[in-house]
Parts: sequence; C-alpha cells; structure tokens
Amino acid sequence: MLTIKNLRASVDGKAILNGIDLALKEGEVHAVMGPNGSGKSTLAGILAGRDGYEVTAGGVQYRGMDLLEMEPEERAREGLFLAFQYPVEIPGVTNLYLLKASLNAIRKHRGEEELNAVEFLKLIKEKAAMVEMDEAFLYRPVNEGFSGGEKKRNEILQMALLQPALSILDETDSGLDIDALKVVAGGVNALRGEGRAMLVVTHYQRLLDYIVPDFVHVLHDGRIVRSGDKSLALELEREGYGWIEREPEATSTGAA
Amino acid sequence: MTAGAVEHYLAQHRKIAGALPGRGLGWLQERRRAGLARLKEVGFPTQRDEDWKYTSTRPLTAKPFRDVGAPAAADETLAKKIRALSPEGLRSRQLVFIDGLFAPQLSDAGADTKGGATLMPLARVLEERPESVEHAFGALAPRKPHGFTALNCAGARDGAVVLLEKDAAPEEPLELLFVTSAEDAFAQPRNLILAAPGCKASVIERHVSLGEHASFTNSASEILLGESANVDYHLVQTQRDSARHVCGIWARQERGSRLRCISATLGGAFVRNDLGVELAGEDAHCDMLGFYAATGAQHVDNHTAVLHSAPHCGSREVYKGVLDGRARAVFHGRITVAPGAQKTAAEQSNQNLLLSRHAEIDCKPQLEIYADDVRCSHGATAGQLDEAALFYLRSRGIGEARARELLTFAFVNEVAGEIQIAALKGALESLLARRLAR
Repeated sequence: MLTIKNLRASVDGKAILNGIDLALKEGEVHAVMGPNGSGKSTLAGILAGRDGYEVTAGGVQYRGMDLLEMEPEERAREGLFLAFQYPVEIPGVTNLYLLKASLNAIRKHRGEEELNAVEFLKLIKEKAAMVEMDEAFLYRPVNEGFSGGEKKRNEILQMALLQPALSILDETDSGLDIDALKVVAGGVNALRGEGRAMLVVTHYQRLLDYIVPDFVHVLHDGRIVRSGDKSLALELEREGYGWIEREPEATSTGAA
Repeated sequence: MTAGAVEHYLAQHRKIAGALPGRGLGWLQERRRAGLARLKEVGFPTQRDEDWKYTSTRPLTAKPFRDVGAPAAADETLAKKIRALSPEGLRSRQLVFIDGLFAPQLSDAGADTKGGATLMPLARVLEERPESVEHAFGALAPRKPHGFTALNCAGARDGAVVLLEKDAAPEEPLELLFVTSAEDAFAQPRNLILAAPGCKASVIERHVSLGEHASFTNSASEILLGESANVDYHLVQTQRDSARHVCGIWARQERGSRLRCISATLGGAFVRNDLGVELAGEDAHCDMLGFYAATGAQHVDNHTAVLHSAPHCGSREVYKGVLDGRARAVFHGRITVAPGAQKTAAEQSNQNLLLSRHAEIDCKPQLEIYADDVRCSHGATAGQLDEAALFYLRSRGIGEARARELLTFAFVNEVAGEIQIAALKGALESLLARRLAR
C-alpha cells in the first residue's frame, strides 16, 4: 500500500530525514518509535502533504501513485488520513460542518452519492457514541476550547467517519490519560483489518499495549536504525532510547 | 475642493428649506440653524482633519448629488423589487423611505402603535406630537459635528421615529428601510429611537439600492435608552457598489440599560460609520459589534467612540473585516473613561484579514482614561489566513479554494453569528458567503 524509498528531507536547509525505507502492506499496523527530534513528526507531515519540508531525495508510492506529487486534499480523498499531534482550532467552523464537508468531499471523489443532512447526522451520532464523545461537541467550533484529550478523541472521530485506507497517527497518545487512551485505541482497533494499514508514530510504548503493532521501527537521526516485532517496543520501554546513542551505527535487522 | 461641494449642498438646502416639516417649532428651527451655521463654519472634512486622516471625502464631494424633489411612484412593481431585497422570512414592521422620502404605500399600514411600540415618519411626528421628541431630537449627536452631520441637522426632510413605551416588548423587529433609487440621489434620513424604561426591542436600520445608480446617503440616528431598556440595533449596509453612505448613530444609556449595536457593511463604494455611545447611568452595558467585507476599490471606515461617564458600566467592542482587491478599511475606536467612572470594564478588538497585497487597513485604538479603578483592553490585528488551519481542512479532503473561503467566512462570521434575528442572520451570512466566493 505504502512504499517509502530512501526518503531524505530537510527543513530550512537542515537535514531531518536521512534515508527512510519502509513498506506497509494492507492489513498491517506499523509503529514508528524514536526519541524527540528523531524525525517522526516530519515523516508523518511529509506523508500527509504538510508545507515547509524539502524532499531532497527518494520517493513515496501510495497505492501505485506518486504520493509526494499529490495535494493534501487529493491524498485525503484517496484514503490517507493524518491524526494530528496538535489538532488545529478553527473558530467559526462547527465540527459537524467540517465532518460533513470532509466526508462528502471524499465520497464525491469516489463517485458515491453525497449524504444528506439526515443520513449524515445518523451516521455521525453512531461514530460519536463509539468514541464516547458527547454530541454537544459536534455543534461546537472545531477543537475550540477542547481539552487535549477531547481534541485527540475528535481526531479519532474523524478517522472513524472517513474510514481511511491508510491512517497515520502522529503521537496520538501524548497528553491522554489512560481512559482516553483506551477509547482512542478502541477507535483505531475498530478500523484494523483487510484493506487498511496504519502507521502509528509514538514516543512511548504505552499506546502499543492497546494498539498492538505487527512491526516496530526505531527512528533515530532521520534513519530507521532497527526494526522488529512488538517485543522491540517492550525492549525500548525497558532500556530507554539510550542504547541508540551508544550504538549509533546500529543497522536495521528486519522483523525478528 | 470641499468649498464648492458645501456651496452645492447649501444651494440644495435653500431649495427645500421652505418645505421642511415642523417649521413652526422654534426649538427645531433653532437646532436647524445651528447645523447650518456649523456647516458654514467647518465645511466638509478633509484628510487634514484627524478623524478623516485615512478617508478621503472625494467620493462624496466630486460629484453633485441632488435632492430628489418628489418621491418615486410606489407601485406594485417597485414593492416587488424592494421585497426581493429583503431577508427571506424576516417578519418586521417596516417604514420604507425612497431617496430619503417616506413611502407610505410601501410601509406597513395599520395602527402606528402595536405592542407598545410606535413607528412613525419623523415629518408626521413633528406635525402631530412634537413634544414627544423635543427633549431628544438632536441632543445626542455631537455638539460639534463634522460637516456632513451638520448638514443633516440643518436639513433632513424625513426619517423614522420609534417610540417604545415603558416595559414595551414588541414581538417583531422594527425595521427602517432606506432605499436609494434615482440617479445621483442625495438622501438625508434622520431617525430617533426613544426607548422608555424597561422596554425590550430590536430595530433594524437597513440601506439598499435599487439599480446601479450612484447615490449619497447622509444619515443620522439617535437612540435614547431609559433605565433598564434593552435594545438591539442593527445597521445593515447592503447597497450596490456605487453607493456612498455617511452614517451616524449616537446613543445615550441610562442606568441598567443594555444596547447591542451590530453593524454589517457588505455593500457600498464608500461607507463611513460614526458610532458614539455614552454610558450615562450606572450598570449600563453596550456591545458594539461590526463586520465588513470589502473588495475592489471599496472604502469602509468605522469610527467608534464609547464614553463611560458613570461607574460600573461595561462596553465590549468587536469589529472584524475581510479586505480583498484594493479595498481599504479604517477602524478608529475611542474609549473614554470619565473621572469617577470607577469599575469600568471596557474591551475593544479589531481584527482584519487581508486577502490581497493591495488591500489596506488603518487601525487606531485610542484610550483616554481619567479614573484609576478600571479594566480596559484593546487589540488590533491584520493578517492572512492561518496556514495551519488551512492545512488541517485540506488534510480532511476539502479543496484549497473551498478551505480558504470557509476560513474567511468563519473569521467574519464570528461577529455575524451574534445576530439574534434568525432570518436577518441567515440572509447576511449567505450574502457574506456570496461576496467572499466571487
């Protein structure tokens, strides 16, 4: 579904990604872990089409398309979804409006009928119940005045509604208490399955107790320095990221 | 430059002076003479005047607008055209003026008084019951007005009077509709709203154009709020982009009263709004809200002044605007806290979105505080759309153009959203969306 080859990128002339290779197949959940500044969020941002990065080498194929050539809205319409680390507040646009505009833009792109107000409301209420979100949040401006946890829950609500083929979760666990974390993980797990893939970017292993990955990759200094199965995450939890600093030349070992 | 224009309007004035209503009223004639004297003394403002520094009056003075002798024939066709310019579903009691002259056939017939609210043309009030307006007429406008207001004081031919009885609470909004129609028409409405203690009402002052003709409306309105009166006043400017409008609104609030003034400027080539509010009694509160969307070569100038002269009063001012093309806007917000007006809480904010490199906003907050126990704040911004918000919307599948439109709309609509009359709010929101989409 997603193939990243030798991806190199810089911000303001400073190299952040130094050759990433990664392949996600349908049905797989991959976790990318790494210390602060390792390039995790840059990777997520580039995949979603955020401005401000310069890709200096390599490329990304997504379902047979050159992902980096696509506008952010095209990527979304083709089934790519980024759950933001810092969801943006948009005063004056209600959550409900955004959700409906978004779903209908994607449906239209797929050649499906747009949902009318009644159909949409029924669907979104089901999804809100699933992520245990009070319906009142639907009528509030997007993320405005939401707590950190509510914002993350809102991201998962959008994800549950849009049913993306490829979900990228950028530090979705940060700032969540354990109950919110379980709800968020529940929403993500409900989407797992045939035809979908996920890239879970996180600093801590904690989230991976609830979203159990098929593969774990460790990012350091803009490179994947180790890959393995879920036990690698546990090892990181025990050892911390310190060993990476001590073994700067460590190489990718593939799934154990 | 302006001397010629002053001469022109003085000549116009001489033509109609003999036909002004209420000429037998000494107090009225006295006030008219004072207006005329003031105009002769100061002329029309120029950019040398501090309050007009960023606003050239050339669009008003370069062309001789003329007083329309007789009102346009009000037939069914005209009525239809005017209805088409009204917000869908708005149920209001309406007085209609065409080129400054009262149009009885187009106005709501029937009893003048309903639900404790009397709605009458000024000319009739001055003939039939001048005593009801004598204390307030001309008393709230500035003592030393600029030349345009002075001209209105000297020679307004008609306007609307709203008399709200004690504790009156009319269900329907009271609407004063000003239509410009004839080529190069000059209209001078003069309005007066007297809100007796305890009343609660919504008033809409709406300006529209029929057709593409250029016009100049020089309006002045005064609002007097008695104790605990509660008035929502809507100033709605949706004229064509050939219209010029100088608009003054002055209010005085007694103890415990509440005024919400919402101004929407979504039309007109040149619009200058002067809004002045005096909080004269304790515990009075006013909201001064405004939004504007200008493009092309439009010019929108909002001059606001709130005077806290009594303690424990609050004022909240929020103006938001979007400027595209070569449009230019001016915001001047003055907050004056008089000695002794302790525990004043005043806030002011003016935020602008500039969508083009050639658009311009000149913003000037001015705080004059002569009391020591007060909370006053002000802020002004001029900027572009939030790129993070834009990316967020696009990452959800919404196209860039639509995302920009949506964010721009949302920015201004924060103020429009405060309108309580659903039909008016809906109509202004769609008009705003249409203006931003083109």
